[in-house]
Order: sequence, then C-alpha cells, then structure tokens
Amino acid sequence: MNDVDVQEVSASQRAQANPLLPLWARQIETARSQSETAIVALTARFSAIVERIDAALGSGQGGAGQPDRVAGIRRSESDLEQVIGALKAIQQSRNQLAAEIRSIGAYTEELHKLASEVDSIGFRTNMLALNAAIEAAHAGESGKGFAVVAAEVRSLSNAARETGKHITRKVSVINDALVRIGTTNEQVASRDEAAVNAADEQIRGVLARFAASTRELSEAADRARTESRAIKDEVCESLVQLQFQDRTSQILAQVIGSMQKLHADQLSADGSQSAAELAERHVEAMLNTYTTTEQRQNHDGVQSADIAPQEVTFF
Amino acid sequence: MAKRILIVDDSASVRTVAGIALRGAGYEVIEAGNGQEGLQRLDGSKIHLIISDVNMPVLDGIGFLKEVKAHPDYRFTPVIMLTTEAGEDKKAQGKAAGAKAWIIKPFQPQIMLDAVSKLVMA
Repeated sequence: MNDVDVQEVSASQRAQANPLLPLWARQIETARSQSETAIVALTARFSAIVERIDAALGSGQGGAGQPDRVAGIRRSESDLEQVIGALKAIQQSRNQLAAEIRSIGAYTEELHKLASEVDSIGFRTNMLALNAAIEAAHAGESGKGFAVVAAEVRSLSNAARETGKHITRKVSVINDALVRIGTTNEQVASRDEAAVNAADEQIRGVLARFAASTRELSEAADRARTESRAIKDEVCESLVQLQFQDRTSQILAQVIGSMQKLHADQLSADGSQSAAELAERHVEAMLNTYTTTEQRQNHDGVQSADIAPQEVTFF
Repeated sequence: MAKRILIVDDSASVRTVAGIALRGAGYEVIEAGNGQEGLQRLDGSKIHLIISDVNMPVLDGIGFLKEVKAHPDYRFTPVIMLTTEAGEDKKAQGKAAGAKAWIIKPFQPQIMLDAVSKLVMA
C-alpha cells in the first residue's frame, strides 16, 4: 500500500473504533469497584463478628466460672453438713443427760430399799425393846434399870422408823422430780430430733435445688458456647467464600484493561495492521496475562468448573 | 513470644481471612497492600514468615520475593505464595525466586495454618 492508501485505511480503522469499548470498560469497572468495596466492607463486618464471638468465648461466660460454682456448692454443702453435725452433737449431749437422769432414778430405788431397811430394823428393834421391857418387869426391882434402857431403845427405834419413812418420802419427791425432768427432757429431745431431721432434709433439698439450677445454668452456658462456636465457624466459612472477590476482581480488571488497550490501539491505528491482526494481537495478550484457571478455561471455550480450595505445594 | 507474620496482598478481604486465622492461632500479623509496602514493613520488624500474593499493583509478588531474598536480614525467611495463579510456569518462577510453598486461592484457613506452622518450625 502506498502512503495515501495507508492513511485511508488507518482513518477508516479510527472511524470504526468501537465507542462502546470505553463505555463497557467504565461500566464493568464501576461494577467491579462497587463489588470490591461491598465485599471488603462485608469481610470487615464478618471479621468484627468473629472477634466479638472470640471475645465472648474467651471471657469465660459460663465456662471459666463453672468450676467456681461447683466449688461453691461443695463449700456450702460442707458448711451446712457442719451445722447439721453441730445440731446432732447437741442432740447427743441431751440423750446422755437423759441417760444420767435415768441412772439417778435407779439410785432412788436403792435409796427406797435402804429406807425400808431402816424402817424394818427400827420395827425389829422396837419389838426387841418391848420384849426387853417385859423381861425387865418380870425381874422386878433388879430389872428397873434395864427397863429404862429398854424404853430408850424403843424410843430410838421409833425415831429410826420415822427417819426411814421420812427418807422414803423425800426419795419419792426426788424420784418424782427426776421422772418429770426425764419426761420433759425426752419430749424436748424428741422435738429436737424432729427439728434436726427436718433441717437436714430442708438443707439437702436446698442444696439439691441449687445444684440443679447450677447444672441448668451450666448446660445453658455450654449450649450457648457450642452455638457461638458454630456461628463463628459459619462466619469463618462465609469469609472463605468471600475470597471469590479477589478472583472476580482480577478477571474483570483484565477484561477492562484489555478493552481500554484495544480502544487505544484502535484510536492510534496507523494502518500497519488490519483489524483482524489487531484483534489477534489482543487475544494473544489476553492469553498471556491470565492468572486463573477459569480464565484459561473460558478462553478455550471450556465450561469453567467451580474452584475448590486446594492443597499446598511445597518446594 | 508470638511469631510475627507479614501478609502482603492487595485484596483486603484475603488479608482479613488470613489475618483472622493466623491471629486465632496465636501469631502476630502485619499487613501490606502490595510488594512495595511489604518491603517497607520488613525494616524495623522481626518477621518470621511472609505470605504474599503474586498479582499486585506497584510491585508484584515475584518481584517482592526477589527483593526479600536479596535482603540481608530476610534471606532465609520462609515465604508462602498465596495466589489465584495456578499456572505451572508461575509456580516455577516462584520456586526459582525462593518461595517455600504455593497456595492457590480460594484457600481453607486450616491448610494455610498447617503450612505456616510447618515452615515456621523448620
């Protein structure tokens, strides 16, 4: 071609420069940019959610506090066992007191017998003194002195019998008092035993309810923790899926670049290349700048497959 | 003391995903948006491992990797390339430039963590 022909061809090519190319490029770039901005913002939000979940899980909500609560229950149980033990010790002391009172009651029986013995001795002595007085009377004058002694002995035996009876009455009074004390003590002991048993039962009931509440709280905390971890895993998985933005951005950026370059080449065409040659050169350039598998698959007209995460290649 | 890792990637979402996983595993993370920024982060920081994208503006991953391997303090620092690039020729370039591993995006964080753990311990 001579110079005139070349100028005519290049003028023709410039005239045919597709005005849609820069328009498409700008539209695609806008979409790419908006998508990137949105994905980055979304990633930041998800990232913040993950950090908040991590903070919540790390703060030991229901986790680190659990052993403290269990130890607290054990301490309370031990303290209350000690209270019940102290009440039972008091009860035992009262039972010992009742046994002592019963043994004193046994002594009063003995005292009764001794008092009867005194009475019996007095009676027999009295009879002896009476016989001695009769014998003294039979002796006449010579028995007068003996009669005086016999009278004194009778008087003493009567006094002994009175003392025996007096002891019996006093022992009966003491015995009655001891019986009343024993009865009252046993009634109090019985009430105390009932009260201690009721307290024991109530305390065990309270502890059981406390343990059940703590267990429920603990289980709820465990469920919350499990759910939080599951949510975190889901969010993390979503973040992995958002990596598509990097691929689409690269694919779109390459398309935009290619469009801009083709348009620039069309505008600056000097006629040394035909439109077909220009297109072929740009196709070649695209082929050399692909970065992803799906770009190459698209180029070859192969249906691009989903890109799954792959293993590491170590060098 | 936590090992320090530099992530160089122009995609904020990829930096975020990798950062969450690494911080969660106990690493300290420094981020850079391209190779040039990555080189600036090297100075004054004791970095134990680098994770770098390949296709980035200003200075790409292979260029960055070459600079790292020329740096007197980071010649032996392991570098993992984390990229959409699946071409064998690019992998060969990375290997020749001194990369220790190649992970193709999208990646599962656990796979990246396993590779980091293996190389940090080496």
